[in-house]
Amino acid sequence: MSDIRVLIVDDEVDFLETIVKRLQDRGFIAKGAENGEQALDYLQHNTVDTVILDVKMPGMDGLQVLQTIKLRWPLVEVIMLTGHASVESGIQGMQLGAFDYVMKPARLDDLLQKIRQAVERKKLQEEKIHRAQNQ
Amino acid sequence: MHASGRDMNQNPQQEQAPAWLEDDRLLQAHKLAALGELSAGLAHEINNPLAVIRQEAELLGELLVPGILERFPDGQDIQDSLREIIRQVDRCKSITHNLLNYARKNDPIIQAVDVNEIVEDMVRLVEKEAKCRNILLTRDYQRDLPLVFTDAPQLRQVMLNLLNNAIQSITGRGEVAVSTRRGGPSNLEVRIRDTGCGIAPEYLERIFDPFFTTKSPGQGTGLGLSISQKIVARLGGTIRVQSALGQGSTFTVTLPINETGSNHA
Repeated sequence: MSDIRVLIVDDEVDFLETIVKRLQDRGFIAKGAENGEQALDYLQHNTVDTVILDVKMPGMDGLQVLQTIKLRWPLVEVIMLTGHASVESGIQGMQLGAFDYVMKPARLDDLLQKIRQAVERKKLQEEKIHRAQNQ
Repeated sequence: MHASGRDMNQNPQQEQAPAWLEDDRLLQAHKLAALGELSAGLAHEINNPLAVIRQEAELLGELLVPGILERFPDGQDIQDSLREIIRQVDRCKSITHNLLNYARKNDPIIQAVDVNEIVEDMVRLVEKEAKCRNILLTRDYQRDLPLVFTDAPQLRQVMLNLLNNAIQSITGRGEVAVSTRRGGPSNLEVRIRDTGCGIAPEYLERIFDPFFTTKSPGQGTGLGLSISQKIVARLGGTIRVQSALGQGSTFTVTLPINETGSNHA
């Protein structure tokens, strides 16, 4: 699982630090952002494969950040993390192009599996575009 | 060629549609494609004036500094009225947003996915709301189903939509039963059965039409099932519905297992 670049966005700093560390321990290039603005700024300057995004944050909320990411970097896959099972926000998130909507707390193994699937999807999409350009 | 995903039969025996009906459906598909493009253009155009209206209403709100309103006898009404303008603009925004989503041509990205896992993830998302509304959610997943080659996020969108509809259809106590099974040698079935209000026979043929809704104004855009049907058709599958008014509905999504089923609509 080397060189997969993951950005985790969550306003709970304790949660953020721990998950970044656990992902790094497993060989991911993991980076944390404490809010939407920080996340978008990081994406502006760095290449990321998958974003793990908390739905409920002060400032820009997760759905707004998701919308901006899919608009500006459509190939970046976004996994939404939610503590409150709001069906309405789930529907909106999936419509806005989220890869998945995961309930907190999620088992790390499940999350890893989802990250791998999201990264595979990104690669497939990149290959598709590459093929279309070379035709 | 896959006919379409709109097999709607009250009677499960009538699986095969006559040729004239197929032609009609093809015509319908072309009409819908044209409608999709028109909708996208319309949605873009309307979003701009909506943004202006919202901004001006917010500005008015800011100009009404505390104290000013007290000099008017109807001060509170002015504030309520402004709030309502913003609320209705947001309602329009959600409609245009859905329109754009409806029109968007999402080429599926095909991956091997575990359908049970996708269904269960979406069930967990609606579980809390179901519990709050005294709705019993039951699962019956067939084990050892083969992986399906399909588009995972688009399938999640469909499942969430159907689950949400099932829950919304129930007032008072009720049950939503979710099950998966091997439908045949080359496909899987996901079934979502509710004990909700059911669909009147005269509406049954129209429930997949864009903008058709039986919900009260503002409760739904009438695009959920239409989008779901479009997605499933693109994935090479079908959505069928069986319903009896006052007794509930069963939506059955059939998905091809192999990648060959994913001809692009």
